[in-house]
Amino acid sequence: MIERIGEWFDQRIGVRRIREVLLDEPLPAGTGWLFTLGSVLLGLLTVQVLTGAFLTLYYAPTPDHAYDSIRFIDSTTPGRVVRGLHHFGASFIVVFLVLHLLRVVCYGAYKPPRELTWLSGLALLGLVLGFALTGYLLPWDQRAYWATVVTINISRLMPIAGDAVAAVLQGGATIGALTLTRWYSVHVIFLPAVLIALIATHVAMMRRQGISGPLRPREGFPSPFYPFHAARDVTAVSVVLAALAVMAFGGAPALEPPADPTDATYFPRPEWYFLGLFQLLKYFPGRLEVVGALVVPGVAAVFLALLPWIDRGAERHPRHRPFIMSAVIAGLVAVVALTTLGWRDRPMSASPREGWTLEEIGGRTFIAAIGCARCHSDTGMADALDHATMGRGTEWLAGHTIDPEVIAPGVRERTSPLHEREVAAIVAHVRRLSRESYPGFAPQIETAAAVYARHCIGCHVIDGKGGKEGPELSDIGRKHDLSALRLWIADPEAVNPDAEMPAFKNRLTPDQLDAIAGYLATRR
Amino acid sequence: MPPHTDHQPSRRRALTIFVNGIGALFGGALAALLGAFAVRPARGAPVERWIRAGTLGDLVPDVPVARVLSVPRADGWYRGRARQTVFLVWTGTQDVRAFSATCTHLGCQVLWDAPAKRFRCPCHGGAYDAEGRVIAGPPPRPLNRLQARVDGTNKSILVQL
Repeated sequence: MIERIGEWFDQRIGVRRIREVLLDEPLPAGTGWLFTLGSVLLGLLTVQVLTGAFLTLYYAPTPDHAYDSIRFIDSTTPGRVVRGLHHFGASFIVVFLVLHLLRVVCYGAYKPPRELTWLSGLALLGLVLGFALTGYLLPWDQRAYWATVVTINISRLMPIAGDAVAAVLQGGATIGALTLTRWYSVHVIFLPAVLIALIATHVAMMRRQGISGPLRPREGFPSPFYPFHAARDVTAVSVVLAALAVMAFGGAPALEPPADPTDATYFPRPEWYFLGLFQLLKYFPGRLEVVGALVVPGVAAVFLALLPWIDRGAERHPRHRPFIMSAVIAGLVAVVALTTLGWRDRPMSASPREGWTLEEIGGRTFIAAIGCARCHSDTGMADALDHATMGRGTEWLAGHTIDPEVIAPGVRERTSPLHEREVAAIVAHVRRLSRESYPGFAPQIETAAAVYARHCIGCHVIDGKGGKEGPELSDIGRKHDLSALRLWIADPEAVNPDAEMPAFKNRLTPDQLDAIAGYLATRR
Repeated sequence: MPPHTDHQPSRRRALTIFVNGIGALFGGALAALLGAFAVRPARGAPVERWIRAGTLGDLVPDVPVARVLSVPRADGWYRGRARQTVFLVWTGTQDVRAFSATCTHLGCQVLWDAPAKRFRCPCHGGAYDAEGRVIAGPPPRPLNRLQARVDGTNKSILVQL
């Protein structure tokens, strides 16, 4: 039956002929496992194209909605896994591209007549890095935003055309809606079109010249690709895809907070495969920056592109090509070393699991005091804050906190005027809530946090945040105990007539005084 | 043309089954995942909310008053607001009736025809009385009643949407 259906189609469109052309390539004896890397890449790219296409069903490329739409994708298991596949798939592709490239270099497979296959492969490498770069802008979280800022500023270093290139990359006057749509369409339309054309060229050239095969010709008959080498390919592809699936099953790493152009505390870090370049930049400060950003990578790229013309002899065995092999190994060692250094050089502030700051905790008290819950409740006219999604920026949130009518005129009652520090604390609290749920703190700590966020933060630093006029309080408990602190806060002049700090005995309730003094006493 | 080889036909057949089987396995798994992702069911029932629709002072006994309410609507990742018209009818006591303005025939928005004391649908001539009962035309059911209550403290009227 299947035979007859096959026959029917064969007579009309010649499927057998297509299969023969695609699959029956004779491969020389001794074609081994190292020749499966191209197929692994093809498999990974297929997964990338399919998951990417399906992600566009839900993704919205606008600054207001990109972040929320990604969170929506992550809200179901299939969504998490699909995005996980796409996320980790990108890393897998970079790894296997490098392995594929090293295999070709070690086997001298770029030698005539395969120079153009080699060049198209290098172009594919550049293209994949372009995919990676444009792809991780799309979630519009902090990492995405700041990586884009850095990329666009690096492009500015280019001689002569720098500013023009940066303007094209940026699209609008600032990095914003026009940048996002532009990078999105490059990522999902233009790059894929070029990718497919280049892969077709690369594979067609490989087929035309045949694979380079083992270093020394072996005895034996050639065998057809299908099913003999295909079995090796399929095994390698399945092992790699299974590993990818295991990683992807837990989903892509959680998003960072939404993009915030005003956040000076954020320390941007690129994706791991750009860490080497990131580290390299640190060695070329000031005017030399262009060397690290463009000259060194440029020289490396030109060296690779010219390999077939530098390494001209007919000898393919790596042991007989010491110059090329040592140059490539040196380059590889440099890349691995830079990446490792970049990886280890992580400042404390980049750790994602830091505790809630006092300001973030304090915001909760103000939220309760001004009655956000009148609208923000499970049955109210707006979403409860505990599961609010905060894709909108801090400016909007601050505006809405000061005047709730900002979003729906006439519907809600105005709240009493808020102090700017209360607004800042509320914004900090809601931003934090949009990432993780409130862990809950002792009432005394919540009270102390609110007092600090309203009254102390202007002059005193705790854990790196606050004004510098007064002394830092992060470990004030080492110097003073609870009663001394309470006395001082209530009336500094009673302790020291020259004190500049205002008295708080009339501005704080006894409970508030107890709470803040008690909290500070625990700071050791 | 397939080149001549020294492989046995049985080995060829086993490998063919292996290659095709693995291909089908991974293809099938990916297709199932992407299919589930593409047709993901809508999450949960929409939340019912009590929306403030005005105060008793705005109403005259037994005369329906149209209020346009702005209702939060979660549309996937999009937090939007939908404008929805409701009619409030005050019975003269603490009781307020609320009707959806959507005609039960084909979904047009009805109007209150004050001289004729009836709701009229502009599309197909449906008509309802002040209590929402059908009195003429094609509507199959009375106007949809909405839950409404008066908040005693400030006389505001809350409608459940």
